[in-house]
Amino acid sequence: MNQIATDSPWAWVHSEAEAQALAQEAVDLALGRGATYADARLVEVVEERLYAASGREPDWRLEQVVGLGVRVLLKGAWGFGSRVLGPATQGIEAALAAVEMAEAQVGPSSAVLDPLPAASGRFRTPFAVDPYAVPAAAKHDLVAGLLEEALATPEVTRAVAGVNAKRQRRCFASSEGSWQVQELLETGGLLQVWAARDGEVQRRSYPNSFHGNTAAAGWEYLTELRLPAELPRVVDEARALLRAPILAAGTSDLVLGPAMTALQIHESCGHALELDRIFGDEAGFAGTSFIRAEERGRMRYGSEAVTVVADPTTPRARGSFAFDDEGQPARPAVLIEKGIVNDFLSSRETAQRIGRPTTAAMRADGHSFMPLCFSTHVGIQPGEGDLDALLERLGDGYYLDMDRSWSIDERRLNFQFGTEVAWEVRRGRRTRLYRNASYGGVTPEFWGSVEAVGGPETLQVFGLPCGKGEPKQWGFVSHGAAPILVRGVRIGVAG
Amino acid sequence: MIAARLRGRDALVSRLEEALREAGGDGARAFVTVRQGEHTRFAGGRVHQPQAVEEVQLMVTVDRGGGAARVATSRLEDARAAGAEALRRAAALSPGHPPEEGAPGAASGSFSHWHEDTAAWDAGARSQLASVAMTLARAAGATANGMLSRVLVEMATAGSTGSAYLRATEAAATLLVRQGAGSAYRGDLGRSVEQMAVEELVRSALAEAAAARDPEPLPPGTYDVVLGPLAVGDMLTFFGGMGFTGDAVAAGAGAVATRKGQPVASELVTVADDALSAEVGLPIPFDIEGMPKVQVPMLDRGRVRGAVFDLGTARAAGGTKTTGHAHIGREEAPCPTPANLILRPGSSTTAELIQGVDDGLYISRFHYTRMVDPEASTFTGVTRDAAFRIREGRLAGPVASSRFTEEVLGIMRRTDGVGSQLVSQPIMNVWNGVASAPSLRVRGFRLGFR
Repeated sequence: MNQIATDSPWAWVHSEAEAQALAQEAVDLALGRGATYADARLVEVVEERLYAASGREPDWRLEQVVGLGVRVLLKGAWGFGSRVLGPATQGIEAALAAVEMAEAQVGPSSAVLDPLPAASGRFRTPFAVDPYAVPAAAKHDLVAGLLEEALATPEVTRAVAGVNAKRQRRCFASSEGSWQVQELLETGGLLQVWAARDGEVQRRSYPNSFHGNTAAAGWEYLTELRLPAELPRVVDEARALLRAPILAAGTSDLVLGPAMTALQIHESCGHALELDRIFGDEAGFAGTSFIRAEERGRMRYGSEAVTVVADPTTPRARGSFAFDDEGQPARPAVLIEKGIVNDFLSSRETAQRIGRPTTAAMRADGHSFMPLCFSTHVGIQPGEGDLDALLERLGDGYYLDMDRSWSIDERRLNFQFGTEVAWEVRRGRRTRLYRNASYGGVTPEFWGSVEAVGGPETLQVFGLPCGKGEPKQWGFVSHGAAPILVRGVRIGVAG
Repeated sequence: MIAARLRGRDALVSRLEEALREAGGDGARAFVTVRQGEHTRFAGGRVHQPQAVEEVQLMVTVDRGGGAARVATSRLEDARAAGAEALRRAAALSPGHPPEEGAPGAASGSFSHWHEDTAAWDAGARSQLASVAMTLARAAGATANGMLSRVLVEMATAGSTGSAYLRATEAAATLLVRQGAGSAYRGDLGRSVEQMAVEELVRSALAEAAAARDPEPLPPGTYDVVLGPLAVGDMLTFFGGMGFTGDAVAAGAGAVATRKGQPVASELVTVADDALSAEVGLPIPFDIEGMPKVQVPMLDRGRVRGAVFDLGTARAAGGTKTTGHAHIGREEAPCPTPANLILRPGSSTTAELIQGVDDGLYISRFHYTRMVDPEASTFTGVTRDAAFRIREGRLAGPVASSRFTEEVLGIMRRTDGVGSQLVSQPIMNVWNGVASAPSLRVRGFRLGFR
């Protein structure tokens, strides 16, 4: 397994021994102040992004964040404090802040965390090519070349190309004796092209529209994306959309492409199965869920073709890790089994409320924020056959892919999604291209109408950011998605 | 309690100057932002997420004409290293390019939006208020969920033509009361917690939730509506994506590029990005490039006026100056962004706007709105929390959540009444971004799938 070069000024600031001492000091202070449980996360992040966008010069940035977040449980009340770390700001202040936030609470507090044995270990993302060691010129030439070629095409008015990498070391210590060190690496890329003609503007993206795509891998992932090879298709489709008719309103059978299926999983499955949402912890902001905890094992969420698994041990997935941010070991969990709700994205506290083990979905944005239930790597289990076989089974209908807009209500029921592209399918063959496609529905009815899922050869992994909580924090998640065949969907709902 | 420790102007600016010395002077600029936030979040009858969060970022930018190299760190003591690394990267990005000259006209001096009432709003006081809200809700057969926040902000910028420093307070309150199948929401934010009247937010949310507890399904159709301030402010957050930014102007897309000077909204509607004229929202008088903000009228009595620019898009546009709206979104390419949007208030109370509707709806809030077509300003979302029928100018029974797909500018074109009270809300994913708006009365708002 490769290691990141450590000779740059942006290598890890703290040695593992220092990190452990700082984290343990914070935990010990919290216990000394009366906490019955405490954990500390020392997180170092170095993120690099290079963007080339039409109308402005290339922008290359490196961002480093080093800090400590401490969570305590004191007299039944939670408290959390975080501080950036430097010589002048010791991590002990994070622990004091956490204790004092807990002590400040008024009224009854009854949070309980059932004790668990210590879980210790280390993990490092496997990769082949260190993205930080790739010469600057190679990155610049890649994005500049993409931009230049895109903008040289008639009708292309705007383009963005970008590459990104993030490496982070997450060290975790708890009052239960856990000590974990995870070195996570991710690499991604983005290409978006806008074409315009007679007041009509259309966008096409690759490998995905929302922040591109990012994998838990090294620069080899960028090579596999083949951005230069995909550019002509992306440009051609953006231009073709300018002349395509609008997808009219009606009801149709659909095949959703993998990128769109990933978003459908994210919005209507992942969020709906977050156990903190189900218990109302997010009611004041993101909302709740149409699924109730007591319906586990009984509630029909989708058809028998629909099995959804959370598996943060999946290689190369952005939502994968060895331990979540309350130190629980990653493990696969079947969330939806043949259409029936089977489990949830849970934390220790929420899982114990339903008498289940946690599915290790407690995650935080860097060191700064208190962990919440986020998706990890949540994916649909593939069925059989390639995309052509799925289209053949569709017969007549439409093939839609890549999100253009997305909206869903606070219970994750009523959704309306727009896609970048839609092709009419006649007798199993893609024919005419349509623009401004949209579809909508109600979550269990939609998933209940899934007739088939593409086979393993159609499965793709999409890594994306997700927002949750107040104050909002970002979660970095991924979804395994294959194309799905859905019958009787309302289309053209956005006008 | 641990006292919040402000770094102060001298400490922050001296760090920036250290960085700039290493970064090569001309063509280099730097900023630092420090946010010390305390957030008391409650749900389910208890404070479940009390957080004291510190965020620090010092960023050095070296622009040598062929691209901008930026290096950021949370470690202020690494300012020099950040400057040196930015210079090294700029040389790699633009070999042979001489340093750019510093932008003239940078902001200079010390600024304050500091309110002692907010600074003193500590965890105990917020927890007490959360407890009162939850207790009152429980007594009414309801639940209260929300967050009360206090943030202490410092921001400093430096370049070859000047340095600026701001210290500011930020208070925010959100409250969602659920009763039966209905709910009501209140939210506001600003520099002064006293001016937000948080206790009144609690009382009014409880009263509205009681009225909204048994909502009836709403038939799809077109209704005359009164949109509450939060629903209107939600629409403002799309202005950045509708062509009111320098990059859209450069691409020839969106409202300013294609319809400048044309009437697109009612004469009652004036929208500006304004961090200067009054302490509305979360004003900051300069941006992360150190350039002073100017007021940017976007819609002036319904006509398209202007866009926000940063140094890069102003340079690309030619003949245009930055308006002080540089922004670097997380995981996004830098892009000028409106950050303190205000729809100018009118003179009517919300009750007076409602009196002008014979048969229609009052919609307090939208949820999960997304742009569908930026050119047409089409967006979609659902109504959320309290919504009521209006019968003969008075609120009648509550109605359930509905999906809608509408045009922002179409709604503003069909506006025939503007409320007098502004309410502020954050703009998602925009640092310090706020939209402040009053109620609007709109003729012909379409609900249901199209």
